[in-house]
Amino acid sequence: MKILNILANIANKFSFMEYIDMDPSEGIATQQINKNYQSNQIVQANATGFGAASDDFMERGIDLNEQLIQNKPATFFFRVNSDAMLGAGIHIGDTLIVDRSVPPRTGKVVVAILNGEFLVRRLQMQTHSITLLPENKKYGAIHIEHLQDYKTWGVVTYVIHGL
Amino acid sequence: MQAIIDCNSFYCSCERLFAPNLQNAPIVVLSNNDGCIVSRSDEAKKLGINMAAPYFQEAERIKKFGIHTFSSNYHLYGDLSWRVMETMRSLLPPGHVEVYSVDEAFVDLHHIANNDVYDFCIHLKNTIETWTGISVSIGAAPNKVLSKIANRLAKKNKIETNCVVVLDTTQKIQTALQKTPIEDVWGIGYQYSEKLKVYGINNAFALSMKDLSWGKKFLGGITGIKLIRELKGLKTHGMQAPRTEKKMIATTRMFGRNVSTWQEVEEALATYATRCCEKLRRQHGAAKCVQVFLLRKPTVNYNAEGHYHRGSQVSGFALLDNPSSLTPDIIKAAVAIGKTIFEQGEIYKKAGVILSDFVPDNALQTNLFVAPSDTRKKKLMNVIDNMNAAYRNDVLKFGSTGTKKNWKMRSEKRSKRFTTRWDELCKVQ
Repeated sequence: MKILNILANIANKFSFMEYIDMDPSEGIATQQINKNYQSNQIVQANATGFGAASDDFMERGIDLNEQLIQNKPATFFFRVNSDAMLGAGIHIGDTLIVDRSVPPRTGKVVVAILNGEFLVRRLQMQTHSITLLPENKKYGAIHIEHLQDYKTWGVVTYVIHGL
Repeated sequence: MQAIIDCNSFYCSCERLFAPNLQNAPIVVLSNNDGCIVSRSDEAKKLGINMAAPYFQEAERIKKFGIHTFSSNYHLYGDLSWRVMETMRSLLPPGHVEVYSVDEAFVDLHHIANNDVYDFCIHLKNTIETWTGISVSIGAAPNKVLSKIANRLAKKNKIETNCVVVLDTTQKIQTALQKTPIEDVWGIGYQYSEKLKVYGINNAFALSMKDLSWGKKFLGGITGIKLIRELKGLKTHGMQAPRTEKKMIATTRMFGRNVSTWQEVEEALATYATRCCEKLRRQHGAAKCVQVFLLRKPTVNYNAEGHYHRGSQVSGFALLDNPSSLTPDIIKAAVAIGKTIFEQGEIYKKAGVILSDFVPDNALQTNLFVAPSDTRKKKLMNVIDNMNAAYRNDVLKFGSTGTKKNWKMRSEKRSKRFTTRWDELCKVQ
């Protein structure tokens, strides 16, 4: 009986959700999660007859995407696998939000490709070279003269760190 | 002006985006079941790897040159395709982007002055590359057929053209037509090109000099007229609104190995039927017709003349009394058909389930003499769809789809789903 109850709860939780419409084989992936949630609430509030005043102020709940993702087609996620940027608050296991549409400038934390590896470091641009600065005394700065071996992949805009 | 934007070696570009060690290395991507080569990086092309060649034919050369090989990762390609198209949409007015395939789109540029088209195309190209990491080629011209020709020239001469070719004068159009072999004209297949060569038409320019009436007679009526009109520089193909609803839904796959038992065929059919139903419910349709086919493994892969033997196909169909999008209904029908065409002792290499004859699900026309499907079942489907979408890995399945799925497609060299799964994100040091 207990299992049935749990299943019923899960079913309830999901029955109002418009499922994620995603079919990569068709080339287009559109994500619509929880689209119905908001309209459901409003319909229920109206159904009480004399509308509560707060109905006029009903709005969408806070959505982390609005804060963390400025440009969706250009935003990617990475998993941190080193403590080189500890001083910038970037820990092993954290999630990096990387926006490729943000121009890389001196002082920005970037994800870069160097010698066949993804690195996260603070970027310092000189006229003919680039320096990647760590924020952890265990690591040294990387000075790059041969820019053909180097590529800035994207600018880190946020780090998600669990406590 | 119209333009076509086409991603360069799309699947390879997707793989390279998350493979920092393969930035300038030759790579190829294999089709479903690791059968054929479907995408090659420029480096692999230079090493003489053929497009659409069966993998086993090129395996030796791939090994010799150390070419990196990937199985198709449709989750990754689908996501990046969406990003490329979305970038275009954000730079163009609504309705100006017509997605043509996973890696190409037509864009309407009539709001841009002719003199500015080249600069605008460069801006589009650079923005797409910066935002998504996928490089593209752009061909712009007065119509779609010519834009395809421009795009081909851009791709052929990447360095000289910077991947952008704009055909904005009669002179440029003529030169481009002369450089285009007849078989490379959009819409001319192999058969037509052989036929046209008999008439001495070897390139696009020669075809553009023909009368419309000639096209009607020799190139399949109205299509031929349209094609020649566009080659002459006149506009006929407008932008097409995206097809939101399909008229037919099919799930067909190669088996990962030879399959000869009914149980495995049944599992496969049930799995494919489930997939079809998910797609069908997404467009809120219900199907009247269920088709099933099985492809037998041929005794020899190549005949005496060296032509590839696909194997013989057996198929059957059923018309449902009540149109349905309910997975159990469709599985039942598909398995019943499968049973009638399955033969013990045969070896099968591919199977497919095809749904067609759709009616809208909200206004189901029910047969007066047959009980309509239960709405409770529809709610159940809805819950299953939502849970599978939220948890992603098909947490709820029908028993008949099997648990081991030994017949499943091979995809041994698939990269991670870097952009769609939290637990498969790319690692950074």
